[in-house]
Amino acid sequence: MGEFRHGVTRGGGDISDGEELRAALATAMAGADTALAAADLLCRACVRLLEVDGASVSLTHEGSTQGTFGSSGETSRQLDELQFTFGEGPCLDAVRQGAPVLVADLGDPAETRWPAFAGALVRSGINAVFALPVTIASKPIGALDLFRRSAGTLGAAALTGGLLAAELAALPLMDLMGSDLDWDVAAQGGDGWEQLASLSRIEVYQATGMLIGALDVGQTEALLRLRAYAFAHDMTAADTAWAILEGRVSLDPDDWLEPGGPRREPG
Amino acid sequence: MSDSRERDITGSFVRLASSLAKGHDVVDLLSELTEDCAHLLGIASAGLLLADDRGVLHVMAASTERTRQLEVFQVQRADGPCRDCYLDGAPVSAPDLRTEAERWPQFAPAALGAGFASVHALPMRLRDQVLGALGLFGTSPGALDPDDLSLGQALADVASVAIVQDKVKSDQRTVNEQLQAALQSRIVLEQAKGVLAQKGSLQMDEAFAALRRYARDHNLRLTAVAEAVVTRALPAQQLLAHARGAGRS
Repeated sequence: MGEFRHGVTRGGGDISDGEELRAALATAMAGADTALAAADLLCRACVRLLEVDGASVSLTHEGSTQGTFGSSGETSRQLDELQFTFGEGPCLDAVRQGAPVLVADLGDPAETRWPAFAGALVRSGINAVFALPVTIASKPIGALDLFRRSAGTLGAAALTGGLLAAELAALPLMDLMGSDLDWDVAAQGGDGWEQLASLSRIEVYQATGMLIGALDVGQTEALLRLRAYAFAHDMTAADTAWAILEGRVSLDPDDWLEPGGPRREPG
Repeated sequence: MSDSRERDITGSFVRLASSLAKGHDVVDLLSELTEDCAHLLGIASAGLLLADDRGVLHVMAASTERTRQLEVFQVQRADGPCRDCYLDGAPVSAPDLRTEAERWPQFAPAALGAGFASVHALPMRLRDQVLGALGLFGTSPGALDPDDLSLGQALADVASVAIVQDKVKSDQRTVNEQLQAALQSRIVLEQAKGVLAQKGSLQMDEAFAALRRYARDHNLRLTAVAEAVVTRALPAQQLLAHARGAGRS
């Protein structure tokens, strides 16, 4: 429990405005050599910047190994994992609903949604939990959970920051889902916001659709393949998408058996 | 105003009002609205950009479904008349894009490269909130006259109402949640176009037409059909066969 008992080291103090939070979070994952380490760093940044005592990132996507990945410390990780043990919790609900689940007081007798999980949290001294869905191309794949000892709502600035952190959390989660993808390489593709912006473009959605059709895979899998191809060829996701749309990349499924897609450079 | 144009305008508003009353598919209705806009105002292309909860603009609908032209709308994430219009909540006019390279270093060359020469942007407002902007693109320089601009603004106002009154989704949603839902519908639509383009060797605008054809002929919502294509619940070949059949008749 050391993480929570001594862990009131909120370096920054006051929560700054949205732009400063964006910048602080964007650099939070710098220097990580694995996706797991990056997710840990992001969670620690949440504790530092968002007036919470613990944070963790979990992956719930079907077909992937579900569970808790990044965390601000061992206690947060263990608490978060209880949701998978019990099969209930705000994180799972946030993913199911595709919307934040904010619980200001877990000890409130009217709060009966997760009897086993809530009880375990309260016994561990956690009285508020805020679960924010992590999405890729609008599909929830996991959640960022923020834990706080004191009951009460999450402030507006902290919520804004939490939502930003949940967006960024998509990057390490994507790389944990695509086991062939190397965070080291992935992290070199510009800052987190640039990577996310490159993934949320019309041509990327269209090219994802072409991969769904050609490879007979789901939406998330198709986007992961596109992203892996981009990294393998040192291209942005948007450049890769144009290459696919303009027929410069073979969509023959045999060519996509290798992680990262066809070996040939697009001509 | 000529009689036929007046009839077209009336017809357009009647159709939009009827879609709103019946419970509409927001992407479908807005695509139609941008097509009406281009036709009624005599411009080459019209596009709607919506802001997400961070204020980033996304393409919601356009009178063209060609990727390169959609890209011209999308590039305004960085700079451009629609972005300025959204940030200021006021109309922006650029009758001659050749003189605007300093004002919009990314947008102006991209728009000129796509063959556009003028742009007018009108705000999409809902009470105190600006939701996004409607961009009107012409292929020759020149300003739109005040009557056309006020007609464009009226269509933009209908678009704003359509987005927040998407009743099928839920009555309880906040404006931001409605916006988010609309943007998600657009993502799925683009993915579905990609699936159909790949399966049927179609251009993206042809893929969109096939989707819309199938949705209308089966009395289904465009977004529901797009979702079924993307999740492979509806085989792409079945939809493509229908579109080919409808094309012949």
